Amino acid sequence: MIFNVDKDILLKEMAISHETISTKSTISILSNVLIIAENDSLVIKATDLKISFSTKIPVTVKQPGSVAVFCDRLLDILRSLPSGEIEFALQENLVLLITPKSTRAHFELKCIQADKFPPQQEVDKALFFEFSQKDFIEMISKTIFAISDDETRFFLNGVYFEKNDSKLNMVASDGRRLSFISKDIKADIDDINGIIIPPKILNIVKKNTPGEGNLSLAVTDKNIFVKIDNRLYTSNLIDGKFPNYKKIIPEQNEHFFLVKKQILAESLKRVSVLVENKTRSVFFNITENLISVSSEESDIGMAREELECEYSGPEYTLTFNYLYILEPLNVIDDEYIRMDFNDPKKAVIMKAKGEQDYMNIVMPLQSE
Amino acid sequence: MKTVFFHADLDAFFTSVEQADNPALKGIPTIVGALPGQRGVVAACSYEARKFGIHSAMPISQAFRKCPQAVYLPARMDRYIEVSGMVMGILQEFTPRMHQISIDEAFLEMTGTERLMGTPWTIAETIKNAVQDKLGLCITIGIAPNKYCAKLVSSYCKPDGLYEVLQGEEIGFLDSLALKDLWGIGQKTLARLNELNIMSIPQLREYSREILSALLGRACAEYIHAAVNGKDPGIYPEQPKHQSISSERTFSEDCRNAQDIKKMLLQLSHEIMFRCMKQKKKAATIVLKLRYWDFSTVQTQHTVKNRINSAEELYRQACLLLEKKWDKKTPLRLVGLGLANVSTHEELIQPELFVQPDDKSTKLEKAVYTIRNKYAGVNITKARLMKKKNSKNGT
Repeated sequence: MIFNVDKDILLKEMAISHETISTKSTISILSNVLIIAENDSLVIKATDLKISFSTKIPVTVKQPGSVAVFCDRLLDILRSLPSGEIEFALQENLVLLITPKSTRAHFELKCIQADKFPPQQEVDKALFFEFSQKDFIEMISKTIFAISDDETRFFLNGVYFEKNDSKLNMVASDGRRLSFISKDIKADIDDINGIIIPPKILNIVKKNTPGEGNLSLAVTDKNIFVKIDNRLYTSNLIDGKFPNYKKIIPEQNEHFFLVKKQILAESLKRVSVLVENKTRSVFFNITENLISVSSEESDIGMAREELECEYSGPEYTLTFNYLYILEPLNVIDDEYIRMDFNDPKKAVIMKAKGEQDYMNIVMPLQSE
Repeated sequence: MKTVFFHADLDAFFTSVEQADNPALKGIPTIVGALPGQRGVVAACSYEARKFGIHSAMPISQAFRKCPQAVYLPARMDRYIEVSGMVMGILQEFTPRMHQISIDEAFLEMTGTERLMGTPWTIAETIKNAVQDKLGLCITIGIAPNKYCAKLVSSYCKPDGLYEVLQGEEIGFLDSLALKDLWGIGQKTLARLNELNIMSIPQLREYSREILSALLGRACAEYIHAAVNGKDPGIYPEQPKHQSISSERTFSEDCRNAQDIKKMLLQLSHEIMFRCMKQKKKAATIVLKLRYWDFSTVQTQHTVKNRINSAEELYRQACLLLEKKWDKKTPLRLVGLGLANVSTHEELIQPELFVQPDDKSTKLEKAVYTIRNKYAGVNITKARLMKKKNSKNGT
């Protein structure tokens, strides 16, 4: 196997491969990427068995072939080199000679036979449907922070994904708050009964996708496939039953207030400096057109800040884990936030003013 | 006003009870705990047995090697609790401010009783005689201006001792002790102090609180600083803020069967949750302790976001910790499970959005707890925990 490749192009793909492979497990075949040179292109495959990545880049193939290369070191080598062309040549003793044209450096990397590399999930091309990249990324960003890291609730360790009629929905929850987002989809395909997608693939896709044009999605019983140009990401699904989220979205709320997002976010950050770490509780005292945000009095001290809002109704005090308010605020792109509530013991809806397709449900804290 | 505290500590309590109940045992090395040939440890040993180098918590096989001629008896916990109750009853006659801290120890606050009952020394003598006359047991009493010193004094003058440290003499008394005698200073702290070339209590006293804080951490520094200056670092507040509830079991044979270990965890989970219910307490930190066949012991803990509400939940978390810590190969000698930072303190809790399967478990367990309390002798338990006849595992 001999081929020539542009360093910057290869580096980008190797970086994604590196994110894909398992970094925790000890060095094994899974710390390697499979590279296949044929028909003037190079196919790169990486997997941690749960999620896999494959990609194809243009190269000049002088002699076709394939081999498994230690990803971590190859990435380090590429990072150390200036831009320009590099020649890769595999010798018979499974040593890969790496010769950059731009320097007089030369590397020899020991490799593993290609057939030791695990096979990857295949999917019927007909299952793919198109969806806006921008919308997909937005859906991930606006939900993924809400998932649970509690392993005893593995079914909440991923993002729930479903297609209903002309809507694609994503939902994430840790059991105490929930984020829901819905987007229109034009593709004419069957509905997808809810699946639970592990966060790793979503994070990788989110990070490495430009957000222009469309991507292709396919879902099977056990896997999800995301195809973006020459890149294909695959992941196992979480096998579990996501709770019925529709049941807990409050239908009618008696009261609501409107507050400027920027002002609320900033004051929460300030007050949270003196918030006790265990429950992260912050009190929202809501009176006519005024919210007072304060921390609990503790051994260290307390903080309070008053902000203007639009509200008319009786006085209420709602208590929240401030992160449950701050995290959605970080991803809501609107000037005003609307919070709908009934009483301090019931779930609160938080969304951008006038927004219907994205909301966060937060359960307030209570004293026993 | 001058404060006066007694620390009353029964000498070799379990074995003394055995010797009092069976005078033929007097003067003979007596050991209560596991029996030779069984697995387990010495729960208590008489002073005669201690001469052979036996101490409590020593494996019974080791004790037997050191002193095969001793009398080995199984623990009769019910009887000890009964006798302990009688002793505490006697102590309570002398002051309403008695604070029992274990089955055989109590603090008595005797501040301001001098005009009523005589000097502390006289009162202590009267107590010692009363316990000896009524129950045939020896009790050691340490007298000092605070609880911490009183505790040190009683350890200092054991067994059958009586000693008084007067106000103003605390420092002098402390200086007669070795660093390792300071109650509450463990092996690690001691090693750390020795590493810093601090070998005695007077040396330790020369360090300011700030310096100790930098060397040992704040909590430890506060404790030591108070202790070496003859003040009570707060060893036994009347109402402890936090405590832990835990239990452990030794397997009859080293165990590497995951099913059996998990069954033991299930049993421990129920035991601990029932104790929590009884004391109306809750906690969010689960502690799992594993002792391997070679006696090496590891401990791991996990804190959940909400507090543990049911034995089922505790069991699940315990299994998760077990999976993380145990390699599924090394034989286990003992498993222990506990809840740390237990409190009754009213805290803000984070309610759940979805109805939890655990809500059901909590209700069920509360019902079982009520039934068990109402009808003595009725034993409702998980089918999985029912004992087979001739069951080998667990005790």
